[in-house]
Amino acid sequence: MGDDAGQIVISGLTKRFGGVTAVDGLSFSAAPGSVTGFLGPNGAGKTTTLRMLAGLVAPDAGTATISGRTYAALESPGRKAGVVLEAAGFHPARTGRNHLRVYCTACGYPLRRADEVLETCGLAAAGRQKVRGYSLGMRQRLALATALLGDPAALILDEPANGLDPEGIAWLRGLLRDYARAGRTVLYSSHVLPEVEQLADQVVIMHRGRLVRRGTLAELTGGRGGLEQVFLSLTAGSGRPGGGPS
Amino acid sequence: MTRLIAAEFRKLLTTRLWLWLLLTSLAWTAGYCALAIAVDNRPGGPGPALSGAAGQHALFAIGAGGAGPLAAILAAAGTAGEFRHRTAAATFLAEPRRARVITAKLIVYLLAGAGYALACVAVSLAVALPWLAARGTPVSLAAHGNLAVLGAVILSVALFGMTGAGLGALLGSEVITIAGLLLYLYVAEPLLSRISALGSWTAYLPGTAADGLTRASQAGVRLLPPWQGGLVFAAWAAVIACAGAAVTARRDIT
Repeated sequence: MGDDAGQIVISGLTKRFGGVTAVDGLSFSAAPGSVTGFLGPNGAGKTTTLRMLAGLVAPDAGTATISGRTYAALESPGRKAGVVLEAAGFHPARTGRNHLRVYCTACGYPLRRADEVLETCGLAAAGRQKVRGYSLGMRQRLALATALLGDPAALILDEPANGLDPEGIAWLRGLLRDYARAGRTVLYSSHVLPEVEQLADQVVIMHRGRLVRRGTLAELTGGRGGLEQVFLSLTAGSGRPGGGPS
Repeated sequence: MTRLIAAEFRKLLTTRLWLWLLLTSLAWTAGYCALAIAVDNRPGGPGPALSGAAGQHALFAIGAGGAGPLAAILAAAGTAGEFRHRTAAATFLAEPRRARVITAKLIVYLLAGAGYALACVAVSLAVALPWLAARGTPVSLAAHGNLAVLGAVILSVALFGMTGAGLGALLGSEVITIAGLLLYLYVAEPLLSRISALGSWTAYLPGTAADGLTRASQAGVRLLPPWQGGLVFAAWAAVIACAGAAVTARRDIT
């Protein structure tokens, strides 16, 4: 790995769905060894941005790279970036452990990685149950376990705290903090602003597909009030209530 | 590529759909063979006598070959099901070169189809050989080209599996793929093949080409000779597979 291992760079990224511009000339970067909180109201374009970064949605313009390459051009992509897009994406009739073993096989990891990440994510006891019996919090943990299989240099997470209970949220905070302290990159979107205030080194705020502010917490708040006030004033006149691709 | 094929097999075998559809295939094969033998030689019977080549071909082609559409359903669930259950994202995160993923699926469902066919051929033989021998109509596998028909059945069901996988990737919806497949095979194509203005062209339709391959002859339906039917059906499977791979490569996984 080079010096830019784990570095995430978004540059001029643009995506239109029909007549709607979901992401409009977005640029920012996330550095190894730091946690970046990715904020914006529903419909701001966060999920579309993360999906383009993961190579699942093709951008109309611009680039999104991890360690200097697009996701599709990465060698062993699962070792470069672990991605959680939603607490879904499991066959209901497959056990959590078998779900993980499928992706161990697909990526060429030893099968014991499945048991290791189940342990890490507190699912050791639930691993042999079918996913249809999982709570939202357990699905969220399984999605994170899938992302951790390759012990990746960067974590890219879309609302990973959604559905977690207070104990789970505290656990996730510790996991992400440790990840960044180990010199890796964490980029995660969230609506839980107090949580972001506790964890993020850098905050990126999107509104209506565009970047409206980025900086450290201190830079954003300037000592005046909390992140919530800054967020609400920057995103006033809310975007697209009721959704559209976000 | 090997690990992708192994991963697709792991996906297939870690849910139970393959088992239910296999049992359904075996039940169809056993039921059809038993019925065909029970009504053999009755006045007004449905098909050619089982003492002749045509009757024996139809017995194996329709009995064991009936697994084809079920193998296609299994395969469609294996590709389109990735979008229904939203597992496509994890699958394409593990291997972003989507054409390779689709190729692995095509190979796995081709093999799964062959496996279904082998099991159904075994059941058809287990039902037909002793029963017909007991009724004084011994069937020899070496005679009448029966062995070739059994081989053709395995190829046909395997190609059905591959076609289902390609169609699922092309349409991206499990329900639409399976409903479309069944409506086409059991409603649209039988109607089309009875339009006399189309003449012998109907023999080139995928289901009818597959019938040509296995010699599943029915009254009034024109079939291609087996080798031509096999080539035409394989060409359909290949075209659908390529279209499915091309569409999947461009699809946004949202």
